[in-house]
Amino acid sequence: MAEKAKFKCLRCGHEYEDKYTPKVPQERTCPKCLSNSVRRIEEKRKA
Amino acid sequence: MMDAGRHQNLTLLAYSEVEHVTGYIGNFNVKIRKKARYVNEDECTACADCVESCPVSVPDEYQQGFSSRKAIYIQLPQAVPSAYLIDMDNCLGNNPIACGKCKDACEKECIDFDMQDEIIDIEVGAIIVAAGMDVYDPSEMDEFGYRSYENVITSMEFERLICAGGPTEGHFVRPTDYKLPKRISFIQCVGSRSSKNGNKYCSNICCMNTIKDTLLLKDHYPDVQSKVFYIDIRAFGKGFEDLFMRSKESGVQYIRGIPGDVWEDPKTKNLLLSVEDTTIGKVQVHESDLVVLSVGVEPRKDMKKLQHLLTLSNSVDGFLLESHPKLKPVDAPTRGIFYAGCVESPKDIKDSVTQASAAAARASIILNAGKVEIEAITAIIDTDKCNYCGVCARVCPYNAITAPDRKSGVYPTIIQAACAGCGTCASECVQDAITMRHFKDDQIIAQVDAILEENNMDKIVAFACNWCSYAGGDLAGTSRLQYPTNVRLIRTMCSGRVDEKFIIHAFKKGAPLVLLSGCHFADCHYISAVTWTQRRVERLWNKLERLGIRPERLQLEWISAAEGQKFAKVMRELEEMRKKVTDKEVKETMEILAKDEEKAKAKKAKQAAAG
Ligand SMILES: [Zn+2]
Repeated sequence: MAEKAKFKCLRCGHEYEDKYTPKVPQERTCPKCLSNSVRRIEEKRKA
Repeated sequence: MMDAGRHQNLTLLAYSEVEHVTGYIGNFNVKIRKKARYVNEDECTACADCVESCPVSVPDEYQQGFSSRKAIYIQLPQAVPSAYLIDMDNCLGNNPIACGKCKDACEKECIDFDMQDEIIDIEVGAIIVAAGMDVYDPSEMDEFGYRSYENVITSMEFERLICAGGPTEGHFVRPTDYKLPKRISFIQCVGSRSSKNGNKYCSNICCMNTIKDTLLLKDHYPDVQSKVFYIDIRAFGKGFEDLFMRSKESGVQYIRGIPGDVWEDPKTKNLLLSVEDTTIGKVQVHESDLVVLSVGVEPRKDMKKLQHLLTLSNSVDGFLLESHPKLKPVDAPTRGIFYAGCVESPKDIKDSVTQASAAAARASIILNAGKVEIEAITAIIDTDKCNYCGVCARVCPYNAITAPDRKSGVYPTIIQAACAGCGTCASECVQDAITMRHFKDDQIIAQVDAILEENNMDKIVAFACNWCSYAGGDLAGTSRLQYPTNVRLIRTMCSGRVDEKFIIHAFKKGAPLVLLSGCHFADCHYISAVTWTQRRVERLWNKLERLGIRPERLQLEWISAAEGQKFAKVMRELEEMRKKVTDKEVKETMEILAKDEEKAKAKKAKQAAAG
């Protein structure tokens, strides 16, 4: 099931929300700088 | 088809479905379900006595629903073998027999209601996938009135209506009044070249199909006026431009613009098309008796099933991905499997025949040789180190590794002929029990050491896959694109080969920044190996963060062979990032990793002592 998750670009630092399916790797592109170094920010890390 | 049916070297299994494929190049095992026809195909003479007696009537799929067929039928007139079959979903029933009229009518007693599906196992050396494509269904779009107006039809429906073997025996009529339409409008690119409806790609065949249709109409009905609404006409093949010119000279009107709206005159059932003719910049309204939507083609609905069956991957458009777009356009990434026709990309008959001939030739090379030459880059398992975890078998995109069995002491084995050398197994094996020929751990680590031996703070260590990223770097170079010279590339066959320990080693040796680059997901030359790269990088980001090292210092990028510009841009961006990494930060990282290594060693020693 696709859900929403927060992502952070490790190139430009841009944070955004996108669709996310657990355990299904997906090619991601930062909407701001077009880098693929996009990391999902897990909820626990925010706290 | 008849020739294929009669050929002594061909076994035609019609009305059959491949259910399971195992094995590898030269040694595939294929399980096929030959569906029950309920008619003995060897005895049936297609006399049609059974058809006349069948009381069931359903829409005929082959005739696009314009006429009906019986529950006992032949799918198309040219079907091979020319024998009837019973569509049990629509038959009144075989268990118990509810009607049985066909059986009574068949003098040759061909009908067997007790017939069962047959499972056939065969061994083959090569497989050619020629599963075809589907046609775009324009029901999802409303602007052309396909759902609302009977006189709006698709190009497939047009084919049936003008065909001598069609529902009207070739008398071309429109659906509402069964009269010959005098004004026909063709709308091009329906479901193609659109980011809104259907597919983004060009379907390749529709322009020429419409040109052919307009000429066919002129031949049969010289008085019929045809108009073609188009974005641009793509007549690029041999003789295609001539055909286009002939169509224009015969009086067919080509109008550059796609109608924005189609509506029906309720009295006449004629259609009105509102369109901007972009050559003159004016909005016009055209009246037509019939509108033909030139629909595009798309991947089969069951493509995922097919991919799973044969361990294949697809390109962005959903068609099957070839081993190499230029150098191996007929080969699948899985060795011993070849493509023919639209299963690989939309193509016309000539291109399909060309590809099919090439596929047959490629397959015959394997069959005639009787042996397979492999590149010396495959994986080897060291059973002394293996702990039967089975990760290697799970991650192999080619199913080239047999699963181990701890209980019976069976180690995983690598089928050398099936291994493509991506190295994902070696990278995922925590026991380091797998060695990749010519891409061994120590060979790669030696390259990292050499890069960082001097002036480590100035260097960017970049791992690049052979097929895409490294080729992208080549293109940047041959295109004379400027990018920083302090990037050092380490080539691996696939990004899947880049082990976690190579990256950690680079940081341990003082790398300020590491890049891992590979093919885009849709271009992965090793089916799904790139997905394991992504997982590994995500794991590494977490690990770096846990250790107090900025995850940003490990960068990930998917760069294709055609993206020289992107390669240069990424390198320029990385150089800016590298400049911001301080000497202090790198030294701290080296200390953290040295401590972590000590800790891991101590833990291992403790575990070993505990037995
Ligand atoms: Zn970014």
